[in-house]
Amino acid sequence: MTEDAPAIFQALEASNFAATIRQSVWLYPFANVGHIVALVCFAGAIAVMDLRLIGALAATAPAKVIGRARRVVIVALCALAATGFLLFSAEASHVIMNPVFLTKMSLVAAGIVNVTIYEFGAKRAVMALPPGAAMPQVARVAGFVSLGIWIVVAGLGRTIAYF
Amino acid sequence: MKRNLAIVAALAALAGPAVAHHGWGSYDAAKPITVAGPILTSKYENPHVTLTVQATDKVWTVTLAPTSRMVNRGALVQLVAVGKEISAYGYPSTVEKDEIRAERITVDGKTVEMR
Repeated sequence: MTEDAPAIFQALEASNFAATIRQSVWLYPFANVGHIVALVCFAGAIAVMDLRLIGALAATAPAKVIGRARRVVIVALCALAATGFLLFSAEASHVIMNPVFLTKMSLVAAGIVNVTIYEFGAKRAVMALPPGAAMPQVARVAGFVSLGIWIVVAGLGRTIAYF
Repeated sequence: MKRNLAIVAALAALAGPAVAHHGWGSYDAAKPITVAGPILTSKYENPHVTLTVQATDKVWTVTLAPTSRMVNRGALVQLVAVGKEISAYGYPSTVEKDEIRAERITVDGKTVEMR
């Protein structure tokens, strides 16, 4: 427990919920493995979405490819958040003070803002495109930004343990 | 095709640092020390079992292995209970004050590797 952390995170780490995660033989490893498996699913699906937005896989209909990948992305992101919350709770007061974790969370927020801008700004036009059509500039930028953000997020996630 | 290759190369380059071993990066392996004395507190919890040990100079926090590995190696909760005399060989943290990550511990004449 770190007393420098805000009280709410000290309280979370001291809670019965967090103690259960730490004291269970299988819960923490389950969350750890689950987080990685969810990340693999998330990375694969988001790469398909982003690459299609950038202009790769041009022979496919954007609505079909992006629509299906999007479902996997949403489920995997929920699984990442759930398993991530378990891992975070166990050591909340330490992790909240970790600069790499804070950078990672800022980038996760940036990634969600980026996809929100795409969803409201360009999605309708993209979904109407036939196979082979050029992507609007907004969609290409959103795809590039997303790909960059999520790769760095994955790298930072692994780096938290070293700081 | 050229662009696809560039993307794959960028992904591979970023994946590189992730191969390093977990958890030992913030400990100074060039300055191993041995902390010996009675165990003051013992938390047999994930992600790592953590003790505080009253050494002659000060109280050290001694970070051990995850609980599942402790169990596999025979270092059960009774072995690292409060009051036991322990000798822990390990590396001081470069981040936390007065903390070491133990490479191996000796309790009751039994030596257990932590890595």
